[in-house]
Amino acid sequence: MILSGNEIEKAVAAGKIVIDPFDPARLGPNSYDFSLGNRCKTYTSPELDARLHNETVEREIGDDGLMISPSRLFLVNTHERMGSTHYVPIIRGRSSTGRLGLFIDITADLIDIGSINQWTLQLHSIIPIRIYPGMVIGQVTFWVVKGEIAPYRGKYGDLRSPVGSLSHLDFSQGEDSNSALVDG
Amino acid sequence: MILSGQEIAAARQRGEIEIEPFYTAQLNPNSYDFCLAPKIIEISPKADQPVEIDVDPNGHLLLPGRLYLGCTSEVIGSANYATTLLGRSSIGRLGLFLNITADLGHCGATSQWTLEMTVVQPLRIYAGMRIGQVAFWMQLGKPTSYSGRYHRDLGPQLNRDRPLSAGLSDDSQRQ
Repeated sequence: MILSGNEIEKAVAAGKIVIDPFDPARLGPNSYDFSLGNRCKTYTSPELDARLHNETVEREIGDDGLMISPSRLFLVNTHERMGSTHYVPIIRGRSSTGRLGLFIDITADLIDIGSINQWTLQLHSIIPIRIYPGMVIGQVTFWVVKGEIAPYRGKYGDLRSPVGSLSHLDFSQGEDSNSALVDG
Repeated sequence: MILSGQEIAAARQRGEIEIEPFYTAQLNPNSYDFCLAPKIIEISPKADQPVEIDVDPNGHLLLPGRLYLGCTSEVIGSANYATTLLGRSSIGRLGLFLNITADLGHCGATSQWTLEMTVVQPLRIYAGMRIGQVAFWMQLGKPTSYSGRYHRDLGPQLNRDRPLSAGLSDDSQRQ
């Protein structure tokens, strides 16, 4: 089951969902519109390797925005700190940004329950597009869970800046030694 | 409702979900991490035919502008729950798409799932790496079992629709 906008508002008031800052005007019938933060990470090398630590460089996005070119990946934080220990968040773009050819995640729309922070968006554009901090860029939905919940205790903690991939840790830890629940 | 990780494990014990092989370490709060099988198919506008590739231990470099069909190491499916396939945030952060807006699995289809992979920047991948995840969903109503053409598939599978050109010629004959 997906939560209605009214139910999202109630869950925020009850502390079951974190959306900070929260503006009731951003509630949709079944989602909440979130906005773009102002910190962006890009990889220093054009060629990436899933087994290696890929160096990133961070920059602040000014009021004049940032041009998203199709050939590069841009990791940008959400302005809001979000998450839930009760419901599973799933993010998606808005039709307004989709119509501009902008992906806000790369087939990684499911947020682990208990992961509460400024999420890292994976921005990729089909055609060049300029984006601005604070613009409404995506929406988050919340889903009811069946079964006992073991919240997220993974490798991406309570973070405010966008974070590059930590996939290399999968390799260094080995496939069978991850006793903790590791996130996506 | 989406199943919690513990509920995925319990449903597998009850025989309602198939994931083989299965390791509890690959359970997430609401999903299960699957791994990449070693054989992939590259489809490039520069080549006439799809090319089969065995990903060697030093990995394989995926290039933008091409489509790669991989598959899960695991056989995955459920006759009781709807299944969605998604990437992991660690992999999304590297710019690797795992499906092309086709994330819904059919209830009752059990297979090594074909992954539709494409990259934003060149990316080296490895066989056996934890590349994506599956989530399981309760459904409302009596399950309708899948009897389609991709059931029990092993290995990455090319599209099995009739080629577009053949479909067009059929239409012209009808006219």
